[in-house]
Amino acid sequence: MVSVLTATRRVFNPLRRNHNEASASASNAVADTADSDDTALVADLIDALGADRVRADSAARYLASHDASIYREGNAGPICFPESTEHVVACVEAAVRHGRAISPRGAGTGLAGGAAPLGRPVVVSTTRMNKLLSVDVENGIAWVQPGIVNLDLSRALAPHGVHFAPDPSSQSVCTIGGNVANNSGGPHCLAYGVTSAHVLAIEAVLSDASVVTLGDLTAEPAGYDLRGAFVGSEGMCGVATAVAVRLTPNPPAVRTMMLAFQDVSHAASTVSAIIAAGIVPAAIEMMDQRCVAAVEDFAQAGYPKDAAAVLLVEVDGPAGGVAIAGEKIAEIAEANQAATVRTAADEDERARLWKGRKSAFGAVANVMPDYYLHDTVVPRTKLVEVLERIYEIVDRHDLIVLNVFHAGDGNLHPLLAYDSRVPGVRERVHAAGREIIELSLDMGGALTGEHGIGVEKRDYMNRMFSAVDLQQQGLLRSSFDPYCRMNPGKVLPSSHSCSDISALRASDAAGVWG
Amino acid sequence: MHLGLDTDELNSCVACGLCLPHCPTFVITGSDTESPRGRIALMRAVQDDDAPITDELVRSIETCVQCRGCETACPSAVPFGRLMEGTRAALADSGRITPRWQRWALSMLRRRRLVLAGSTLLALAIRLRLVPTRRLGLPARMPLRRPALRTSGSDVWLFTGCVMDAWQRDVHLAVQRVLEAAGVGVEPTGATAPCCGALHIHAGLEADTKDLARQVMAGLSSDDRPILVDAAGCGAMLKDYGHLLDSDEARAFSARVFDVHEWLAGHLDDLQARQEVVPLPLTVAVQDPCHLRHVQRAHQAVTEVLRPFVAEVVNLDDDGLCCGAGGAYSMMEPKLARAIRERKTASVARSGASVVASANPGCSLHLAAVGLDVLHPLELVDQALSSVGTQANPNTVGVSAGGLGAAEAGT
Amino acid sequence: MTDHEAAYDAALQEFAAEVGPDGPVCVRGGATRWALGGEPTSDTREVNAPAGVVAFEPAEMTVRVRAGTTVSELHQQLAGAGQRTALPEREGGTVGGALMVGESSIARLGRGAVRESLLQACYVCADGQIASGGAATVKNVSGFDLCRLLVGSLGTLGLLGEALLRTFPIPESERWVQLRGADPAATKACDTAASVLWDGSDMWVLLSGYEPDVQEDMNRLRDCSDASAPPELPSHRWICTPAEAVAFGDYATSVGVDLSGRNGSSGRFVAEIGVGVVHASVPQPQRIVASGVVELNRRFKQRFDPSGRLNPGRDPLKKT
Repeated sequence: MVSVLTATRRVFNPLRRNHNEASASASNAVADTADSDDTALVADLIDALGADRVRADSAARYLASHDASIYREGNAGPICFPESTEHVVACVEAAVRHGRAISPRGAGTGLAGGAAPLGRPVVVSTTRMNKLLSVDVENGIAWVQPGIVNLDLSRALAPHGVHFAPDPSSQSVCTIGGNVANNSGGPHCLAYGVTSAHVLAIEAVLSDASVVTLGDLTAEPAGYDLRGAFVGSEGMCGVATAVAVRLTPNPPAVRTMMLAFQDVSHAASTVSAIIAAGIVPAAIEMMDQRCVAAVEDFAQAGYPKDAAAVLLVEVDGPAGGVAIAGEKIAEIAEANQAATVRTAADEDERARLWKGRKSAFGAVANVMPDYYLHDTVVPRTKLVEVLERIYEIVDRHDLIVLNVFHAGDGNLHPLLAYDSRVPGVRERVHAAGREIIELSLDMGGALTGEHGIGVEKRDYMNRMFSAVDLQQQGLLRSSFDPYCRMNPGKVLPSSHSCSDISALRASDAAGVWG
Repeated sequence: MHLGLDTDELNSCVACGLCLPHCPTFVITGSDTESPRGRIALMRAVQDDDAPITDELVRSIETCVQCRGCETACPSAVPFGRLMEGTRAALADSGRITPRWQRWALSMLRRRRLVLAGSTLLALAIRLRLVPTRRLGLPARMPLRRPALRTSGSDVWLFTGCVMDAWQRDVHLAVQRVLEAAGVGVEPTGATAPCCGALHIHAGLEADTKDLARQVMAGLSSDDRPILVDAAGCGAMLKDYGHLLDSDEARAFSARVFDVHEWLAGHLDDLQARQEVVPLPLTVAVQDPCHLRHVQRAHQAVTEVLRPFVAEVVNLDDDGLCCGAGGAYSMMEPKLARAIRERKTASVARSGASVVASANPGCSLHLAAVGLDVLHPLELVDQALSSVGTQANPNTVGVSAGGLGAAEAGT
Repeated sequence: MTDHEAAYDAALQEFAAEVGPDGPVCVRGGATRWALGGEPTSDTREVNAPAGVVAFEPAEMTVRVRAGTTVSELHQQLAGAGQRTALPEREGGTVGGALMVGESSIARLGRGAVRESLLQACYVCADGQIASGGAATVKNVSGFDLCRLLVGSLGTLGLLGEALLRTFPIPESERWVQLRGADPAATKACDTAASVLWDGSDMWVLLSGYEPDVQEDMNRLRDCSDASAPPELPSHRWICTPAEAVAFGDYATSVGVDLSGRNGSSGRFVAEIGVGVVHASVPQPQRIVASGVVELNRRFKQRFDPSGRLNPGRDPLKKT
């Protein structure tokens, strides 16, 4: 989906825009109650954006009500396809006038229901805001629109010898705006850090329709780290309309290794031993036997299908260090009884090894038609114990689990595969999921490492945080959005999310097909 | 409404979204309604939850190019093409798509003489500037006279089809010369097998397609010669008869079908051994027809076959994204088809190639209509073989052999 | 007391009790950057954050440490396992101070920014209760990112009691080299530069990594000589973009500061190339901040500390 993309010399600078913030706040006085139907709202939106940028029919609303999660209760209002910051402002103004909330949407690949709109809000789809606005090599950044696809960005940057470091498995389709909303990670964030470390500034439209640039290109922007607070806020603080992303130089050397083991615990102890040896690989990924078998047919990556666990380890950086670290890792793997230690011979083989890993979630349908995915993080020294207990939990509930995860930072992705047509299976899936979460938290872990809370994990937040903690998080949100108009109903359990409940009052009763 | 789709196939989509960037219509509109994942979700809503079949829902189905780029991108191997064909069949049966005039037009395709005569008339009308070719996506120049098809042996069948035979017989003849240069005796199918049915199945006319399939099989089943196809869309259709008719006979038939490049890739040595080859001084961009790349998955053979015969072969940088031709799609959905094509032409421009090689007639017509110089890969091979001993001239090569783009390119 | 509160240790609870629910209060750490963003008003009660390393897990590459611990002491303990943090060491400077000030070390290119090292924060809120943000893992996106908000906040949103910090291995080889009359672009070829300092003519580079790579970079730099330490830094810290740092003279002129050395002023500066921090002998004029950003800063302060009792007189917008 490379859409633009020659790097323009013109340096996009939202700091120079002249925004009228006073008039925006005036519009907040309007509309305390939501319209009972969408007619007037849609007319307003079409007026502002043009008919080909607004969809209000049931088919479009039905599809915009879901993301890649299994959450099915979303209810989208009209869907807008803005192409500029001004269009987004117009969307927010119209929503405000008609008492509606706003839910931003990127590619809809989220796995926690973060983009599933609640309460029939105006859905702002960023898919047509997919331009690379400028490349500023001197400052090591590029300004992009939020709808640009992660991989398209890195491809467009390739001639400059740089890339955007976060590389979620969905990178061929997920957008930078979505990465910002979820503070996305990916295999290579082990060494390079997550999205938050790769975003310098964000132009955003806030819930009063004002436009503000959070952060700047300087080393330490003045005031609170608003950009840091915005990243990972799951669309609840505003709609990002332009993002300054950090350009990461392509590493001079890369070594990708596939290590196969006959026992999962040997793979896990290899991970701990690598970290303990003072090596920080670019990525350490692990797949268990069931997962390897599911992806190998599609990806033909050359994973041994009979191995109990496969580790993908990548080291990068200057050539000398890559060689030293690569050899050490091979030694560690052999000391931990690795059955296979293979180094990718060329870029082609490397790409295939990664393709297998990155298609794992989709490939699960080769096993079962539905899956419920968790994303907990545990201390990496507890990996062996946690994995054993996950298998035990899943066996007890008579389910199937595929484990594929970022082993280097303890970020688990147990996929509970099931067939929703089997009576009672959903209950078992949820019970097992709850136990996995409880287990991870008891081990000193976290609810989610990169997929976000959305609606799926919202009600677990009380388990991880105290009332005081959640109240503090609520303050962060309401400082950006005092009206609770932006993507209401996500992340915070209801009692901690200001007036989100009233924002959800809009005619939810009539379903999409109504 | 039950669409008659297989429940397991329908449920094999987990909505991960990895198909989105490989869908030519999603890439243009950015809307889930024009995406494979979205279309499957709508099929499911209709079949499982009895969602109403609104006009917008029908549009979502109609706007699919059926390129099946989503299938190669899908880690769950969702048989999207089959789901789409099934949905269209159900919608056509209930009269929601493929209006009567389209059915009538499609039913004419099996009448070979009518197709040939009609095409001649059209060619004449175009010469007389009676037809707005650009708006209709038609070639700017069509042949008024066709050299006759001839049989040179009985090693292989060359499937000639319907519209392609009428509009691009030059290509068949070039393909035949290349095969003969490899020492292969060729028999063109001509009236024996008038039409493969690909356009019919795209339009949801399943019964008509099956009729045509039986007719084709009846014509070509007297022996078990390989059936070579030089049009990717037809090849994909013939290879699908096994599934379409679900009989051992049909499966055996489909197993005899090869894309001509796929087959030649296994006989390259014969071709090169018989003749000294001087590569044409051209940089050629290979456009992968979707039905070769995503359906037959044989697109690499084109590059393999072409490479010894031209100076340089470049692959496009768009991951095989559809060009928007889609059989009759470019005429049914001209606006989307043009927007999709713009991405392809941009990719061609980035490649720096002067000639585009396309192994599907629909694609080459669609791309030639914007002035690209498009030739069938084997037309290039044919030129290289025939230029042995003569000095190839880069200014005439590529546009001299009745290339479709020649007229419009203003040469 | 809920489970969550019981999890806080006695030192943290004592600190919360000392902060209490009302009255203006500030924390004194090492006071190395005491006047940054304004000094506390005169009626402000000073408290001290608890000190000491709570838990260090080398194999996790994290350390839990109380805010009153000095960075030097922390690094001394971590060095035993060959690790350290990204926090800058200043004479007497504390972990809490380094985080609340938010200024990165001069080796930011190699060690990362301070804002990226805080994984979990336990702090006392304006109402005297203990809150925690983040998680005890190296990766976490559970809820809103309070850690980012706190770093650099000068203690105006909450008073930090305990922090979980990311650690990383100390590279095998580290050395400062000096180049005379160098162009800042010269270091672009270096793969291991953790710090590049430039005073307008000379350059100091901290090479950091595996020995063969450091050697390779020394070869690339050709005319460099070993330097025992980085140059002494002028006392004022300017914040700008990397491009402005490379052309610092022009940048200073554009904001009305004369660095020519005429009129008695000293023109000395040392720029951190590739980062956008410049150490100069004259202070940076107040940076201009868009009104929308000022308004958001005001809202955050108003919501997190409605009575304005936390570090009154300090304002992160006025840091320079």
